[in-house]
Amino acid sequence: MYVRHLSLTNYRNYGRLELDLSPGSTLLYGSNAQGKTNLLEAIYYLATTRSPHAEQEQQLLNWDADDPTQPIVVGRLTASVVAQGEERQLEIRLIKEQKLGQSSFRREALINRRKVRLMDFLGNLRVVLFLPEDIQLVTGTPSQRRRYLDITLCQVDAIYCQALSQYNKLLEQRNALLRQLAEGQSSKELLPIYDEKLVHWGSLIFARRALFCQEMGREAQRIHYESLTDGVESIRLHYLPRLLGNGQRRNGVAEPLAELGSWLQMGGIDQEAIRTRFTRELQTAVPQDIARGVSSVGPHRDDWLLEVNGRHLGHYGSRGQQRSAILSLKMAEIQWMTQVTQETPVLLLDEVVAELDAQRRSLLLYYVKQAAQALLTATDPGMFTADFLRQATSLAVQNGRVLTSSDPIS
Amino acid sequence: MAQNVLPRTVQRLIDTFARLPGIGPKSASRLTFYLLRDKDNLALDLAAALQEMKANTRLCPVCFNITEEEPCLICRDEGRDATLLCVVEEPLDVVAIERSRAYNGRYHVLHGAISPVEGIGPEDLKVAELVRRVQQGNFREIILATNPTLEGESTSLYLQRRLMHEKVKITRLARGLPVGGDLEYTDEITLSRALEGRQEL
Repeated sequence: MYVRHLSLTNYRNYGRLELDLSPGSTLLYGSNAQGKTNLLEAIYYLATTRSPHAEQEQQLLNWDADDPTQPIVVGRLTASVVAQGEERQLEIRLIKEQKLGQSSFRREALINRRKVRLMDFLGNLRVVLFLPEDIQLVTGTPSQRRRYLDITLCQVDAIYCQALSQYNKLLEQRNALLRQLAEGQSSKELLPIYDEKLVHWGSLIFARRALFCQEMGREAQRIHYESLTDGVESIRLHYLPRLLGNGQRRNGVAEPLAELGSWLQMGGIDQEAIRTRFTRELQTAVPQDIARGVSSVGPHRDDWLLEVNGRHLGHYGSRGQQRSAILSLKMAEIQWMTQVTQETPVLLLDEVVAELDAQRRSLLLYYVKQAAQALLTATDPGMFTADFLRQATSLAVQNGRVLTSSDPIS
Repeated sequence: MAQNVLPRTVQRLIDTFARLPGIGPKSASRLTFYLLRDKDNLALDLAAALQEMKANTRLCPVCFNITEEEPCLICRDEGRDATLLCVVEEPLDVVAIERSRAYNGRYHVLHGAISPVEGIGPEDLKVAELVRRVQQGNFREIILATNPTLEGESTSLYLQRRLMHEKVKITRLARGLPVGGDLEYTDEITLSRALEGRQEL
């Protein structure tokens, strides 16, 4: 699949942009803070309905357009996506309204100019995004790692996406109920009702994540061991499902969780077994949950980690090892998505080529060339080989404008 | 300022309209000035209608639907099947089911659904009244017709547990495909529910 045309209105530093894109590789070059990354993020946003950074969505609106004296400010992102010979127009509107001195923000999603639910919007454009900050998947918080699982899975699996949305709503109700129970304001007989449904949707999420980690782990190891490190390093992806109330941590790794993760990953992922276990652990945790006012067991507390040669990458890996492993993981993501959907996703690479050595760079560019479309940003096009530049379309990005010219940069 | 220009009574009506759901200050002003200029006594008719509605309606002591008479017309109707009871969230749900003409039993209106986030528990709804009614009445079937939302389904599950030990059959409305809908555009949850609830022909 590829994006044939991108149109932006009042988005980030773009007041207005109409940009034709071609299949194959496109290099966006220019100095810092000109809007290269914003272009990639706009496409990412159309694919995932999320910004790569967990920030306030209002900030996506153009700074100049976001005038508090205006009753309504609208930002628009539109992409014409060609997939399997058919073209579809995807549009997201960011709407900020001022009413009675209060400002409200909402989003609308449209496919071929018809409004759809955000949930149904997903899956029409699939991307894999490479960012320098990806290293935070190793060094960052569990919530960043869960976000990665969710965004990646939601692009290809509508049922997962619905399960996640149902689960989060249920969780909110359950937590409210826990707080009321702590104050003696409600009856305990309500809890099993929420737990029953929490188990239903939660088990689906556990199972899907386990399978994803298993498939991704296998692919990442193949790439890492065979292509990236010439048989020197092995990596393993461990899923750490929060199916236990109190994960005791040893060696910085939540051991019982890792055990459970391999049970899930290896055990053929038996839904019924997950349900039974989840139900039991939820019940055991009830007194503790009431005391704390939050639910301690469930996929909302999941985590995963990477191991290199048997060691926790986040704790013992060097910066270089961490970068390599993340690169393998992201390349595995391309492979995984291609296998699941029978189509290459659109690749978005933000400044990542610069920090790679020659071997890693050529491997990554191999994937770039395989993809139906890839957009790369760079401050200095000189880091690419003349060969690559000959094949790629080069576009200069300057102060919120894209200067189209078919001339290759010398 | 604009507020001082308008007579106090006019401003009061605007402010009152603006308290209604779905009506902002602009619509409130428009409605007020429409009534102000109207020559057909619409304002007085409206006032009378509002007053009469507030004075003459109450909740039916049996089914808790809105009524002018006690008990309500449906509860009184001898032609209805008194062994069937349909439990709904709101009075408007009764209207919807009546419109279908497919049901000829009695109703019970809960006046909401359980939602801990909004602080609504079973004790805020007509649940105890329902349980008492089922224990005292001669029902053969209770139909749980709450909305297919998270709150409605939780309420339905809760009622199911509360009524489990009564000697009565408990059913709930089927979940599935809308009539005239398109299979291709049906979301996954609805479709999987429809598959679960498939019927033999």
